[in-house]
Amino acid sequence: MSQSISSRIAASEGKTAEKTSDSVSWMTRVKQALSSIMLPLITFVILFTGWELAVRLMDVQTVILPPPSAIFAELFTSISFYMPHVGVTFYEAMVGFVIGTVLALIGGVVMSQSRLLERMLLPVAVLAHVTPIVVIAPLFMIWFGFGTFPKILVAAIISFFPMLINSTTGFRSVDESNHEYMRSLHASRWEIFFKLSLPGALPFLFSAARTCISMSVIGAVVGEMSGASKGLGNVVMVSANYLQMERMFGAIFLLALMGILLTNAVRIVERRFLAWHSSGQ
Amino acid sequence: MSYITIEGVHKRFVRRGQWTEALSNIQLDIEQGSFVSFIGPSGCGKSTLLRIIGGLMDAEEGEIAIGGQSPQELLKAKQFGFVPQQPALFPWRTVLQNMNIPFEVNRQKVFNPVEQGDPIKLLQAVGLGDFVHAYPRELSGGMKQRVGIARAFATGAPILLMDEPFSALDEITKEVLMHQLKTIWEEHKKTVLFVTHNIQEAVYLSDKVVVMSARPGRVSRVIDIKLARPRDESVIGSQAFNDYMAELRESLRERWG
Repeated sequence: MSQSISSRIAASEGKTAEKTSDSVSWMTRVKQALSSIMLPLITFVILFTGWELAVRLMDVQTVILPPPSAIFAELFTSISFYMPHVGVTFYEAMVGFVIGTVLALIGGVVMSQSRLLERMLLPVAVLAHVTPIVVIAPLFMIWFGFGTFPKILVAAIISFFPMLINSTTGFRSVDESNHEYMRSLHASRWEIFFKLSLPGALPFLFSAARTCISMSVIGAVVGEMSGASKGLGNVVMVSANYLQMERMFGAIFLLALMGILLTNAVRIVERRFLAWHSSGQ
Repeated sequence: MSYITIEGVHKRFVRRGQWTEALSNIQLDIEQGSFVSFIGPSGCGKSTLLRIIGGLMDAEEGEIAIGGQSPQELLKAKQFGFVPQQPALFPWRTVLQNMNIPFEVNRQKVFNPVEQGDPIKLLQAVGLGDFVHAYPRELSGGMKQRVGIARAFATGAPILLMDEPFSALDEITKEVLMHQLKTIWEEHKKTVLFVTHNIQEAVYLSDKVVVMSARPGRVSRVIDIKLARPRDESVIGSQAFNDYMAELRESLRERWG
């Protein structure tokens, strides 16, 4: 009798599990993919069409607002002008992102392991965070010159804080009974960290990385705007001075595109790593 | 012949700025290979006692010897299989990968996986043969807890500590798991210390039921359950079974406060 009850329950539980895996058939997957790409695309088409029509119908001057068609035309004809600047801004943002997040991860490990160190270090991090980066960037230019280094520094600082806070929280948010289970196996502090805290913190780390990577582009641009001869931030400044509006909007579009692509790149990596997590689906 | 000897164990906690006696002068003998349940009102210290025996907490006073060794020595030698109330499954690992955690946290090579129970066979024994590669989020609460129990048996640890493993489950699931646990235990004959709130569970599974009372936490009675082994469902509802249930309920009622 006990056997029959248990097998019946196992069977009914099995059925529910099967049903969920069945419902994610390829039809729904195609639908999901279409709606995740098509719907935003439709919105943008409507937006740009409206913009185009408004500029043409109201006869807005190009020095005020160029139509999207002119901006895209500028982008295509001058792509060889833009590419080196894209490369510079991308390089500064990426190096800054890597330096900032790696240092923040180290800080997160240290702070999650010791409340004492957290109390000592966190105020410094908060101070660096609440000071507007825009006012620090010119200072870096004075100290370190017009090269890429001060821009990397701004990008690193701006992507440091979100990762520091999220990684500290993530490394701490260990499930109590999982932790006790590891202790019952006589696991060392580092075994607990690498087998339990680190994988458990991944959702926090990825959500911070998504924020940080777009922030690092902002940081690089802010750095470039306080003094540079290269990069998309510099293109925006120079073309604004000469009222070259198509060129300026072209740079703005490229920056927006860079932000979208980088955020999605993180999302793709996240999906591979976090198949087990509901946010990774 | 006593295997686990507990002598005059005291444990105090600070609660709301005051010292409270969590455990007071616990004396207990447990035989090797027996199934012992701890039952009592919440706050009677039964989970605390389980953790002190398992080396996860220290007692302020008293002695615990397990086969002549201290709980800490046994913890280092990985002689405990722990099943907490919330199933300790890592959500990023499949069922089988979760079964392997004890062997991965094993730098001193205490476990030899080859000599231990076959994890897949144990999963089949608890009805999870088809879920070996499933992730915890695909499992129900009862299924997760079964993985935890199978894992405790898989390591071959001689002492299994179970802290209310069934308390979060619904009645039917609870009953099914109770039978499965009994079946596996009768096959493997480990020493099991089982904390529970459930009188029927305690009588059905145990060789010995330790009744505890609260404030201060202490052992108020020890009842030997002399029902024949191997047991099956037919024993539930028999006269002897009902007598044990009544006796247990009575001794809990007089101490409940």
